[in-house]
Amino acid sequence: MEDTGVRGAAQRRRKAPHELRPEGPTSMDTLTYPEDLKDAFTWDIKANSRAYNWQFKAKVFLCWHRPKYKTNVIHTAKYNFFSFLPRNLYEQFHSVSNLYFLLIIILQSIPEISTLPWFTLFAPLVCLIVIHATRDLVDDISRHRSDRAINNRPCQVLVENSFIWQKWKNLCVGDVVRLSKDNIVPADLLLLASTEPSSLCYVETADIDGETNLKFRQALMVTHHELTNPRKMASFRGRVMCEEPNSRMHQFVGHLEWNGNMYPLDIGNILLRGCKIRNTDACYGMVIYAGFDTKIMKNCGKIHLKRTKLDLLMNKLVVLILLSLVVVSIVLAVSFGFQMREFRDKHYYLWIPYRGGVAMESFFIFWGFLTLLSGMVPIAMFIIAEFIYVGNSKFINWDEEMYYAPQDVPAKARSTNLNDQLGQVEYIFSDKTGTLTQNILTFKKCCIDGYIYGPDSESRTSKENPYLWNQFADGKLRFHNKKLLDIVRAKRDKVVQEFWRVLAICHTVMVQRKDNLLVYQAASPDEEALVTAARNFGYVFLSRTQDTITLMELGEERVYQVLAMMDFNSSRKRMSVLVRNPEGTICLYTKGADTVILERLHKKHVTKLTTEEALAAFAKESLRTLCLAYKEVDEAMYERWHQQHEEAGVLLQNRVQALQELYNEMEQSLNLLGATGIEDRLQDGVPVTIECLKKANIKIWVLTGDKQETAVNISFACQLLSENMVILEEKKILHILETCWDPKNLLTNKGLRNLTQHSKFAMVVDGDFLDKLLLSLRKEPRALIQNMEADESWQEPYKGVRDFLQGRSISRLWRSFSAQLTQTKSKALKTRESPEMQRERAFMELASRCQAVICCRVTPKQKALVVALVKKYQQVVTLAIGDGANDVNMIKTADIGVGLAGQEGTQAVQNSDFALGQFCFLQRLLLVHGRWSYMRVCKFLRYFIYKTLAIMMPQIWFAFYNGFSAQTLYEGWFLALFNLLYSTLPVLYIGLFEQDVSASQSLQMPELYVAGQKDELFNYWVFLQAITHGTATSLVNFLMTLWTSRDTAGPCSYSDHQSFAVVMALSGLLCITMEVILIIKYWTMLGVVAVFLNLSFYGVMTYITQSSWLYRISPKTFPFLYADRNVLSCPSTVLVILLNMSLNTLPVLALRVIRQTLKKPLPKEEAKEKAPDEEIFTVEPMPSLHRGLRHRRSSYDFSHCEGYANLISQGTILKRSL
Amino acid sequence: MECHLCRLPDNTALKQQKLPTHRLHFSAKKILFIFFATGIFCLCMGIILLLSAKSTQEIEINYTKICANCAKVRENAFNFDKECTCSIPFSLTKKMKGNVYMYYKLYGFYQNLYRYVRSRSNRQLVGKDVKAVNSCAPFKMFHNETPIVPCGAIANSIFNDTIILSYNVNSSLQIPVPMLKTGLTWWTDAYVKFQNPKADNLANAFEGTTKPPYWQKPIYELDKEDPGNNGFLNDDFIVWMRTAAFPTFKKLYRHLNRTQHFTAGLPAGNYSFNITYNFPVTRFYGKKSVVLCTTTWSGGSSLYIGLAYTVTGAITWLAAFSMMAIHMGLKNKKMPIIHQSNEALKEKAENRNGQ
Repeated sequence: MEDTGVRGAAQRRRKAPHELRPEGPTSMDTLTYPEDLKDAFTWDIKANSRAYNWQFKAKVFLCWHRPKYKTNVIHTAKYNFFSFLPRNLYEQFHSVSNLYFLLIIILQSIPEISTLPWFTLFAPLVCLIVIHATRDLVDDISRHRSDRAINNRPCQVLVENSFIWQKWKNLCVGDVVRLSKDNIVPADLLLLASTEPSSLCYVETADIDGETNLKFRQALMVTHHELTNPRKMASFRGRVMCEEPNSRMHQFVGHLEWNGNMYPLDIGNILLRGCKIRNTDACYGMVIYAGFDTKIMKNCGKIHLKRTKLDLLMNKLVVLILLSLVVVSIVLAVSFGFQMREFRDKHYYLWIPYRGGVAMESFFIFWGFLTLLSGMVPIAMFIIAEFIYVGNSKFINWDEEMYYAPQDVPAKARSTNLNDQLGQVEYIFSDKTGTLTQNILTFKKCCIDGYIYGPDSESRTSKENPYLWNQFADGKLRFHNKKLLDIVRAKRDKVVQEFWRVLAICHTVMVQRKDNLLVYQAASPDEEALVTAARNFGYVFLSRTQDTITLMELGEERVYQVLAMMDFNSSRKRMSVLVRNPEGTICLYTKGADTVILERLHKKHVTKLTTEEALAAFAKESLRTLCLAYKEVDEAMYERWHQQHEEAGVLLQNRVQALQELYNEMEQSLNLLGATGIEDRLQDGVPVTIECLKKANIKIWVLTGDKQETAVNISFACQLLSENMVILEEKKILHILETCWDPKNLLTNKGLRNLTQHSKFAMVVDGDFLDKLLLSLRKEPRALIQNMEADESWQEPYKGVRDFLQGRSISRLWRSFSAQLTQTKSKALKTRESPEMQRERAFMELASRCQAVICCRVTPKQKALVVALVKKYQQVVTLAIGDGANDVNMIKTADIGVGLAGQEGTQAVQNSDFALGQFCFLQRLLLVHGRWSYMRVCKFLRYFIYKTLAIMMPQIWFAFYNGFSAQTLYEGWFLALFNLLYSTLPVLYIGLFEQDVSASQSLQMPELYVAGQKDELFNYWVFLQAITHGTATSLVNFLMTLWTSRDTAGPCSYSDHQSFAVVMALSGLLCITMEVILIIKYWTMLGVVAVFLNLSFYGVMTYITQSSWLYRISPKTFPFLYADRNVLSCPSTVLVILLNMSLNTLPVLALRVIRQTLKKPLPKEEAKEKAPDEEIFTVEPMPSLHRGLRHRRSSYDFSHCEGYANLISQGTILKRSL
Repeated sequence: MECHLCRLPDNTALKQQKLPTHRLHFSAKKILFIFFATGIFCLCMGIILLLSAKSTQEIEINYTKICANCAKVRENAFNFDKECTCSIPFSLTKKMKGNVYMYYKLYGFYQNLYRYVRSRSNRQLVGKDVKAVNSCAPFKMFHNETPIVPCGAIANSIFNDTIILSYNVNSSLQIPVPMLKTGLTWWTDAYVKFQNPKADNLANAFEGTTKPPYWQKPIYELDKEDPGNNGFLNDDFIVWMRTAAFPTFKKLYRHLNRTQHFTAGLPAGNYSFNITYNFPVTRFYGKKSVVLCTTTWSGGSSLYIGLAYTVTGAITWLAAFSMMAIHMGLKNKKMPIIHQSNEALKEKAENRNGQ
C-alpha cells in the first residue's frame, strides 16, 4: 500500500519533470526522447557480458584496432620510462625559443656561416633542456603517483553472483557495481537500484560542478523492481544503447533494452564519475562509460592558461629584439658586401679566404651575424623568469602571516606564473557569502512579545553549558540568556511557547539521525540556525514524514499533522506551515520578512510597535531579521480553504499563481509573536582590508546571489559603502546613462564627469538589470574564457590536453603575434560598435567612477559576465575572489582567481590561481607579495635587457672595425658562460629577494601599489631606457678601450685581439656588476654571496678555459691561453677597466639622484591637495539621490532557491519507516 | 584536530623573507661623498698619468712613401725575389731615456677579418703535428701535396721588412744600435703556444713540408744565428701571429739592448733606419711606419688615458658641485613644506623615493 504510494509519486515525477528538478541546469528538455536520434546511438553495452562488449573495435590506425570501450584506467601522466627522453625532447623542440636555438646551432655548424665556436651556443642549450626536462620529470612523477592512487581505489564489482572488492582500474563497461554511502562513483554508471524508496540515490556533485546541495538520481522502476538481489543482478542482461561519450555534463540520451522492452534513459538515471553517494545505504549501477570516456574526464581538458600583462609584453619585446637583430644583420651584411668588393680589389692577403662571390659571401655573412648576435635575444630570460615565478609562489606558500590556523590552511599559489599580475590588480570582484562573511549564521537576538532578549553579558554567563538539561541540545549555541531560558522552561508564557514552536515547525529542514544525534540539513543556513536555536531551547524538531512533523517540546513528544506547506519564494518572502496540533486545533505558523509579515497582522496589535523598534535595533547591528507570526484557523474556514487548495493543485494552467493567491488568503490577520536577529558574521579583518585595498586604488565589486538588502547591509558592515555615499540604483543608473551618454555624441560624458566629480558614488544593481544590459557580451561566448586555445579545448577535450602541452611550448613568440592581431581586430571593432556595446561601455564608464559596485541576485554566469564586461571595456587586471562553486565561473574568467578554502567545498579552490584561508589575507597577497613580485619581475626584466645589451652590443661596434666579417669580439667561452654563470645569480637574487620597502611598510602605504596598476615599473619607455643604457655602456666600454689601446706600447699593449677581448669582457662584466650593486636595495648575505659567486665563477672558469692543460688538449677550443693573466698583469689595463667602470656608473648614479631629488616634492603636493578634498565633500551634496530609509536594511534571507517543500509534501523524499 | 597547525609554514628568516638586511639607501651625503672621492681619485690619476706621459718620447717615421722606389718594385708581384733596401736618416734632438722599443706600424691592414683570423693551425704551431693544416684554408697544401708550414693566411702574410737602426756617432762612423729580437712576446706564447717539433735538427723537423707562398725562406731559416729564436719560436713570427684587433696597429719589433753607448737609452744625435723593403702596402693604400718610443710605468705613452682620467675627474667634481647646489636649493625650498606636513607624510615621501 505504502509502496504504491511512493511509486505513484515517482510516476508523477516522470510526468512533470520540471516541477521536481532541483538540479537547475538540466532544464534543457532532456526528457524529450529524440526519436530521430535513435540510429545515432552507437554506444552499445550489454550488462554483465564482457565478451559482448569487447567485440566492438575502434579503428586506430590503418588496420590496427583497439577495443572500442576503454577500461577504467586513467593515465594523466605524459611519459613512461621509455618515452620520456624522445618525447620530452620532441616537445621541447616544439618551443620556438628552443627551435631558434637549434637553428642557430645548425647554422653554426655550416663552415661558411659559422662565426662562433660550437660550444658557445651548445652549452646554454644543453643547460636549458636539462633544466626543463628535470622539471617535466618531477611533474610527471607526481602525476604518475596520483594516477596510481586513483586507479587502485577499491570498489565492489559483481562477479558471479557476489560482489567482490576490485580496483577501479579493473572495471569495464557493462560491469555492475555496488556503492555504499560516501563512496565515490568510479565511472559513469546507469543507476539500477538503490536501497532507498523508489530507488532514489542522493549524490553530492561537489567535485563535478561544485554544488554542495544534495541531488537525487533515480533508477528506472523496472530495474528497481526486478533487480533486488545479487543473483538477479548477475543474470541481468539489459542492453544500453546511448550516445557516444561526450563532455556535456548535464545531458545524456539513451535507452535500455531489456526483455524486449525499451526504456528511455536520461541524465537523471546516471551517476557520474566523481560524485559522492550520500544518505543512501547502497546502490547498484552498471558501467556505461569508463576511464577516459567518462563525462568528467572528457571535461578535463579545460585548463586555460592565464598569462600576465608583463609576460605578454616580454614576449613582444623579445620578438622586437629578434626583428631588430635581423635588420641589423641585414645592414651589416650589406656593408660587408661593399667592403668585400674593396677587399677583393685591393687586399690581396684577405680576399683569398673568401672564395665565393660577393653576393654569396654577404648572404653567408648575414647568417653569420645572426648567429653571432644571437646572444642578444634574451632567451635565458624566460628560464630565469620561470625560476623567479616559482620562487615567488613559494614565498606565498611559505608566508606565515597568510596561514589560517583555525582551518590549518596556508596560502597557496596554485598557478605559479601570475605573481607579478598580483601587483597590478585594479578591480576585485568578491563574492559575499563565505568570502566577506564567515557564512556562519548565529542566533544572536530575539524579540518575543515586545521584549528583547540579547545574549547575557560575558561575566554573567556561567562557564557550564546552560542547555545541559536538554538531551537534544547540540551544545554549540552561543546564545545564552538565562531569563529567557527560565521563561521557556516554566512553560507559562504562551507567546514564548508559540515563538519556539514556529521555529521548530515552520521550515523545510531535513533531519537525519547519526549515532543517536540529530543532524539537520537545511536549504539555507538561516533556517538551520533558527531550527537549531529552537532545538537548544527545548523545542526539538525530531522527524518529519510526508504529512507529520514530530517535535520534542521540553521532553514531551508531540506530533503535528501537516495540512499544508506554503514554501518560501523570493516574491512571497515568507513561509507558512498549516498544522493540526495534537489537541486538534489548526494553526498557521508563519515566518518571513518584516515588511510582508507586518502588513498581514491582525489589527490592533499591541506589540507591533515595540517589535518594529526591536527590528530597527537589530538592523542597526547588521543582524538579519525575521518576523514570526501565527494564527489559529477554525475548522470551517480550513475546510473551505482546503477544498480550494485541492482544486488549485490539479489546475493545468496558472497553477502556481492560483496557489499563491490561496496562500496569501490564508496568511492574513496574523498574530505577531516576535522577531529574530541572526548574525551573519563578517570574517576577521574584512573592513580593514577593504579600506586598505580602497586606498590602494583598487575598486571592489561585490557580486552575490543574495538579495539586495542583505548585500547592501553587509557592504555597510564592511565599510564598502558609507553613509556619505550616493547610492545609485537601477532607475537612477538608467537615467544617468540616458541623459549623460548620447551614443552619437560621446563627448557628453562630460556631464557624467561633472556629476561624479564631487561626490562618492556607489552602485547597486541586480541580476535582472545586468541581464538587460549585458547583451553583446552574452553573444560572445569567448568573452568568458581568456584565450582562444583554451576555448577550443573546451569543446574537444583530447585536443585540449594536447593544446595545453603545446600551450606551454608553442611559441610564446607566435602567441604574442596573435595577441597583437586580436588587438588590432578589437580596435577595428570598436569603431563600429553596436548600440548594445555602447550601452555597456557607458555603463562601465559610470561604474568605473563609483567607489563601490554591488551586484545582487546574480547567477554564476552573470558573475562571470560582469568580470568579462570589465575586462572588455577597461584594460585592467581583474581579480575575482570567492569560496563557492557559484564563484568558479568568475574565478576562471578573471585575470586572477582567488579561492577561499571555506565552508562551501573546495570547488573554488580547485579552479583558482591562488588559494587563501581568509579574505583579509588578500591584503597581504596583493600589497606585499603582489607588489614585490611585480617590482621584482620588472627590475629583473629591465636589468636583464640592460646587461644583455651592454655585453653584446660591442660585437656590433666591433663589426665596423673588422670589415663586417662577423668576427667574434669575445672569447667563445665567455659568450657561452656569460648568461649561464657570470650574470645569473644577481639577476636571480633581484627576482627572488629584492624588496623596495618592507612588508609592513607596504601595508602601511597602500598608495605604493598604484605604480603597478599604471604599469610604471616596466613598459615600453622603461624598455627604451634599458636599451639606451645598455647601448651607452657598450659604447663607452668599446670606444674608451679602443682609443686607449692605440696609445699603449711595450709589453703592456692590449691592441691585439685577444687582449682587447679580455679587457672588453672584464669591463662589461664589472660594469653590469656595478649596476646590479646599485640596483639592489635589499642587501642580505645572499645578495653578497650572489655577486661574489658570480665574479668568482668568472675567475674560476676563465682560469680553467685559459689553462695550458686544456690548451694542450685542444688548442683550437681553448685559444685564449693565459690571456686574462697576461693582460691583467699590466697596470694600464687595470686603469682602463677602472675608467670604464666609473664612466659608466657615475653618470647613471648622478641621473638617478637628480631624478630622485626632483621627484621628491611631488607626493607631498598630492597629499596637500587631497586633504581638503575629503573635508569639503564629506557633506552629502545631492540628497535627492540618497538611498532609502536606513532601518530597512535587514531582511529575511533565504537562499534564493526554493526549499524542499514540494518534495516533502509529495513524500518522494521521505522514508516511510520513520 | 590531530593535525592542528601541521601545515603551518616554517618560521625561518629566508622563507618569511625577513633575512637580516642592509637597505642600500643613497642619501645626498653619501652620493656626494662618492662623487667627490671618485673625482679626486680620477684627477690624481690623470695628473700622474699626464706627468708620466710627458716624460715619454715617441718618434714615428712613415716610410711608405719615403722608400718610393722600393714601393714601386713591390707593386709588381714578379719582383718578389728582388731585394730592395732604403735608408731613412733622422735625428733625435733629445735623448730617449730608459727602455726604448721599436715597432712597426701598419695602417689599413685588416688582421681581424674572421676568415683571416681563423686561418691558422694552433695544433701545428704547438709543435705536435706539423702536418695538421686542416683549419688553414686556403693555405693548407702546396699543390695539394705538401703541407705548408706555417700554414694559413696569417702566417702567409707575415710582415717581412727588416729594419735596422744605426747610430751615427759622427759623420763617418755609423754603428748599429744593439737591439734585442727576443723577449717581445708573452711568456706563455713563447713557452706554451709555440713550440718547435722535436728533432735534433730543425730542418729535419720540417721535412716534407713547404714554406708559405709569400715567404722567401722556410720557417727553419727565420733566424739562423739563434736556434732559440728560430722556427715557430721566432719572436717576430709569434708577434705577427698574435693578430691585432683593429686595422691600424703596431707590433713590437725590437727593443734596445742597453749596452755600450746605450745604457741610458738612445742618446740624442743622428740615426738612420736601414730597411729591407719587402712588405707591399701600396696595393691596399695602406701605410707602414716604424716607431721608436719609451714607455711609462703603466705601459705606453698613457697620454690619452691620462687625459681621459683628468677630464672624468673634472666632470665628476663639477657634477658633484652642481648636485650639491641643487640639493641645497631644494632643501631650503622644501623646508616650509616639511614643517607643514605631518610626520607620516614625511615618512611616506621618503619611502616612495626609496624605491
